[in-house]
Amino acid sequence: MKKFTSARITQLLFLALFLILFLMTEYRGSDRLGVAVNAFFRADPLASLSTLLAMKEWTPLLLPGFLLLLFTAILGRFFCGWICPLGTVLDLVTARIAKTAPIRRLKGNLKYWLLLPILTASLFNINLAGLLDPIAILVRALTFFIHPLLGETARSGWVGLYRLFGDRRDLLDPGYHILRDYILPYRETLYPLAFLSALIFIAIIWLERYESRNWCRNLCPLGTLLGLVARLSPFSRVPASLCSDCRSCAELCPSSFDREILNKEECILCMECQLRCPKQRAGFRLTGFKPAEGGAVMERRVFIGGLAGGFLLARLFRFRDPALQASILRPPGVRDEAEFLKKCVRCGECMKVCLRSALYPAFFQGGIEGLYTPLLIPRLGYCEYNCTLCGQVCPTGAIPDLPSRQKKLEVIGKAVFIKDHCIPFAKRMDCIVCEEHCPIPQKAIRSETVTMTDFSGAQVKVRVPYVVDELCNGCGICENVCPLEGKAGIEVFVVKDRRPLDEGAGDRASGVHDPYH
Amino acid sequence: MNRRLFLKLLGMSSIFYQSLLRDLAAAEMPMVAVAEGKDFAGITVRALAMLGGMGRFVRPGATVVVKPNMGWDRSAEQGANTHPLVVRTVVDECLKAGAKRVKVFDRTCNDERRCYVNSGIGPALRGMKNVDVKYLEHERFRKVTLNGRVLKEWELYGEALSADVYINVPVAKHHGLTGLTLGMKNVMGIMGGNRGSIHKHIDVALADINAVFRPHLTIIDATRILTAHGPQGGDMRDVKVLNRVIASTDIVAADAYATTLFGMRPDEIAVTVTAHRRGLGEMDLKKINVVKV
Repeated sequence: MKKFTSARITQLLFLALFLILFLMTEYRGSDRLGVAVNAFFRADPLASLSTLLAMKEWTPLLLPGFLLLLFTAILGRFFCGWICPLGTVLDLVTARIAKTAPIRRLKGNLKYWLLLPILTASLFNINLAGLLDPIAILVRALTFFIHPLLGETARSGWVGLYRLFGDRRDLLDPGYHILRDYILPYRETLYPLAFLSALIFIAIIWLERYESRNWCRNLCPLGTLLGLVARLSPFSRVPASLCSDCRSCAELCPSSFDREILNKEECILCMECQLRCPKQRAGFRLTGFKPAEGGAVMERRVFIGGLAGGFLLARLFRFRDPALQASILRPPGVRDEAEFLKKCVRCGECMKVCLRSALYPAFFQGGIEGLYTPLLIPRLGYCEYNCTLCGQVCPTGAIPDLPSRQKKLEVIGKAVFIKDHCIPFAKRMDCIVCEEHCPIPQKAIRSETVTMTDFSGAQVKVRVPYVVDELCNGCGICENVCPLEGKAGIEVFVVKDRRPLDEGAGDRASGVHDPYH
Repeated sequence: MNRRLFLKLLGMSSIFYQSLLRDLAAAEMPMVAVAEGKDFAGITVRALAMLGGMGRFVRPGATVVVKPNMGWDRSAEQGANTHPLVVRTVVDECLKAGAKRVKVFDRTCNDERRCYVNSGIGPALRGMKNVDVKYLEHERFRKVTLNGRVLKEWELYGEALSADVYINVPVAKHHGLTGLTLGMKNVMGIMGGNRGSIHKHIDVALADINAVFRPHLTIIDATRILTAHGPQGGDMRDVKVLNRVIASTDIVAADAYATTLFGMRPDEIAVTVTAHRRGLGEMDLKKINVVKV
């Protein structure tokens, strides 16, 4: 970052916006979130295109992404130089990283080998866009690694102050509450894949030691997609090549002038060359569409290889362990696994926003094809009955945005008692904490009084719980609050038939016996 | 005076001064104030007035904890949480009596942020001076020796333990395991640890805690009661509007009277019976001075 040019200021504003939206992707007392970081994903052409290819049908949610693609076709790859928060982060740190020579291997076709398989896999119903999408990489690094780390550090400091000062710490309450309410994550959540998420992010920064914007020009699939479209732009930089008497552009350009001719595909329109041209020659002019310099987009074998790679990617990694499969609980409103894999771009927002930290990124539970998709793990957090946040932030509608009334009827799974563990069955003692917490107004977990002989031989009356399948939506609060340590006495298992509950199922007329009427 | 005259006089006076004698005996009996009316703030004030007003409990400069039941992500009318107007009025009375600080909190079952908002209690207290509506912080729990029958020790919330006055403000509602949940069970909102595990012997465990941690005042919200599918409810058909607030310094007596509002007898509620046997209060309605206003 040398000087504050308009591109730089815009970049910083968008980075600030991104971070603010990230922090706002959290419950703050209102059932509906006004804005969230999903705004960035909705305008993400890679996510939009891959979702369109997977769904093979149009939804208005995809419109912003395609508009951005259209603007790119007119103006060029401005997104990368003006908006992309990951690009801005790289620009902020790159000056402090000493450069060695660019890596040869990264040059050339590698970026197409990343982009094409992702898009082709989408065509075959596996949406992998988010794995390498720059915004998703940043959101996941923040959600799973940086933000929890910040939260835990601040909180342990706060607890430490209590150990030191006791209740006198209250004096600091107002300051800490601002931090807690606006900056820190509400819960200290440990995420699986935190390490991997951090590693990818750090690796991208590490690549800066070879050349600036290394990720952006050689790897980023979103940048590659935008670059392909930018070829159509009627604007061109003049002069198109380095001037023999100057060659300053080679130094000034962060992305594209690493050869004699400017590569339009890689130009991120940062305008550095125009602003700093010692001879005031460089500029961007409307020149009309010209076939881009530098020849064909890619060789035919790369194109065919990329397509084949995507096909194989979508087909070869579908093995799923049935035992693990039974506990793949998806967020509320997801009725069909195949449909979900088409739409979910693995951006991590649902996991960020989840009120009870119930959602976690899948590692291998859902097969390799399920990497980074959200899983509900009831023992760690349950789905809050009245909450609809995950559907609100999902950029592609993989988790539908449902009104609270409908969301309550959506089936995540069904609860089943594990009688060898459950206290009333295994120990012949009262418990029914699960029934107490069951949020269904007519109770999907109920109990009956059963006379049993306890282990001392005495006759005891015990409240024994049971599940009413017609009412259970699988929210998992029962499994979450089960007072047993380790394995719960009740577990939620996934069911194939996830049609929503019948709204009247709890009524007396429904034929389901209700002990409380 | 001869013996005959004395007996005559005594007999006569017992007829004429019947009410006086009863009052004399009543002084020994725990009083339960029951106020009825549609103005929830008004009936709360009236019930308190019968006990001698908040000034009897809250001295100027005192730190007060008002502990409502706001454990569930349910709205005020659904009857799972203490009514916000009742809580607000109790807090208000504390401030009027000169409380330096009033703290309101609960260890919730659903997400605390949603509970505090949707119970209506957070919004009702917003902007009040010297009132803290706080989320619990786990470092404030302190191990308390109970030496009870089933609980030898348990973590209780520091701010509840250190308060000058602790006011217990539960809502009266149905509970699957204990039949009803009233004043005695509301103490669970200041319990730390795995409190679900006390359900094995819940009546004994609650007596163990209430024997050591004794609220100065119990105010039971029966403005509307949840008659089934408690403690969380959600079905408006289970909610019965009674427009009543019950106040007593005897937590067991308050619970015993509240039980009758559900058409049940105090001896049907094991938590009440066990507490009474442990000497924590009176459950025999004949030995309770119920004053209705």
